Amino acid sequence: MRQGMINGRPMIAAAILLPLCACGPDPIDPQTQVGANPPLPEPHQYLLPPMHVSKAVGWKDGETPQVASGLAIKALATGLKNPRSILVLPNGDILVAESGGPNPPVNRPKEIIMGWLERKSHSAETPGQRITLLRDADGDGVPEQRSILLDKQNSPFGMALVGNDLYVAETDAVMRYPYKTGETTITEPGIKLTELPAGHINHHWTKSLTASPDGTKLYAGVGSNSNITENGIDEEKDRAAIWEIDRATGAHRLYATGLRNPNGLTFEPQTKTLWCVVNERDELGPDLVPDYMTSVKDGGFYGWPYSYWGQHVDPRVMPQRPELVASAIMPDYSLSSHVAPLGMTFYTGSALPQTYQGGAFVGEHGSWDRDPLNGYKVIYVPFEGGKPAGKAQDVVTGFVTDAREARGRPVGLAVDSHGALLIADDVGGTVWRVTGARAQSQAAPGPIVR
Amino acid sequence: MSSPVTKDARLSQLNPQSTAQVAGHPIHAMLVPIPVVCFVGTLVTDIAYWFTANMQWANFSVWLLSVGLIGAALAALAGMIDFFGDRRIRRIRTAWIHAAGNAVTLALSIINVFVHSRDAYTSVVPTGLILSAVVVLILGLTGWLGAGLVHRYGVGVQAGERA
Repeated sequence: MRQGMINGRPMIAAAILLPLCACGPDPIDPQTQVGANPPLPEPHQYLLPPMHVSKAVGWKDGETPQVASGLAIKALATGLKNPRSILVLPNGDILVAESGGPNPPVNRPKEIIMGWLERKSHSAETPGQRITLLRDADGDGVPEQRSILLDKQNSPFGMALVGNDLYVAETDAVMRYPYKTGETTITEPGIKLTELPAGHINHHWTKSLTASPDGTKLYAGVGSNSNITENGIDEEKDRAAIWEIDRATGAHRLYATGLRNPNGLTFEPQTKTLWCVVNERDELGPDLVPDYMTSVKDGGFYGWPYSYWGQHVDPRVMPQRPELVASAIMPDYSLSSHVAPLGMTFYTGSALPQTYQGGAFVGEHGSWDRDPLNGYKVIYVPFEGGKPAGKAQDVVTGFVTDAREARGRPVGLAVDSHGALLIADDVGGTVWRVTGARAQSQAAPGPIVR
Repeated sequence: MSSPVTKDARLSQLNPQSTAQVAGHPIHAMLVPIPVVCFVGTLVTDIAYWFTANMQWANFSVWLLSVGLIGAALAALAGMIDFFGDRRIRRIRTAWIHAAGNAVTLALSIINVFVHSRDAYTSVVPTGLILSAVVVLILGLTGWLGAGLVHRYGVGVQAGERA
């Protein structure tokens, strides 16, 4: 409280002398913030935070994202209703969750304004709230079959298959469905394994899901219910956390906390460690706070809401918790600020060039509270010995026009049974398929597992 | 009720007249309670938030501020119409101080609504709370002066109604 008071004096002077301008520190080159130990500027609170909400315009015929050299890209499926995440089944079938969040309630006048500003950034398409199955058995990038596997879902996002159990993380529960290999529609009702925090605010609604390598546990990412506790700390119970759910009983415990909005839950294939990407807090400046990818330690606390990037205290949270801040773990790898990572997948396939072996692809949905824009691309982070090693590279770009409108925005990622990288593009209504440049032209035959 | 035209004309020369009025009632005086009550309320709920850190109070504050600002803008408009509508008002020094003081409270409250639109603790403490307090202090002064314009200088007072 005291610290806030002292910091406040220059702030009020500035508030009176500089009415309503968006003055603040100049944005730095986001690339300098990519990697371990990013430089962190001083926090700056604005009267009008700098923002640029890119208007959703979609892809024109023949337009595609651009890919790095040695790669080729093609739409696997178009006309999807807000595709958000992808799961590839053992037989090669591809599940796409077409999903959208609930309408946020208006608790403050700000939310009326923000709702109006952000409306244009969403696809005009009403989210499908369903899971679509695509079958591309011959691996030519053109599905022979497309069907609705599960319909009328409640904002589905995370998906995981263990044996014959298909788990879907809707926004308010993890559901279990019986799945038989080759099935294209599931008619049996699901069984609720575990309820997840939702409620009338449900600020971060995407519930990422993955299964432990031995299949006994599920891990669900549950995002915070606010930017930085502005809906009250009581609304954050069991949120900003990764839940560990016992697959047999549905019992859960908090595996890790302080992760503001964890997504892309994946086990690193070499070390079998859980990793995720995290959307960090807004409105502290264009270069705070960096979003990140990190390994997740059992029982670890990663700062939110009390601190960021280790022990940097956030002055907006009251009461503060110094003892928790002292225990906050510094994340492994910064992706730079406001890129909004929502998908991650490790690559161990062989269809892409050797450069992409063993590291992680990350889907960056793109910024809104920053100008210039950041994110709106898929990057690759090289790994060695189960840890990030070296600079991230741009892999798929071109989601934004020169006029800074969004043709598409990448979200969830997956690798198909032929080793191609799949990208869910919600604004573009498309699943993109990235292959090696040669494979694309020859339509290389792949294994058909049925 | 109906006075002879000559009497009305004579009386209207005694008191500075309100231009923005409904049936002789100045609109400015009707609207002014809205921002006064809302901005005083904002200070009260800001103090409540300062002591409790319960977001409910901060939410009250920003709604009060927003409604107060709408009321203030309309009251300012009516006030300016009166101010520019009768040069006898502009000859009163108090009227100038009243107008300038309220312009300052309006400007500070616009800044304040942006401060209150930040998230969590720093939406109120300290900048928002200080601005709310400064606004209420100035409103006390300008309110006093505004009452003086009516009670001392008879601005907008229809003396003929009582005669």
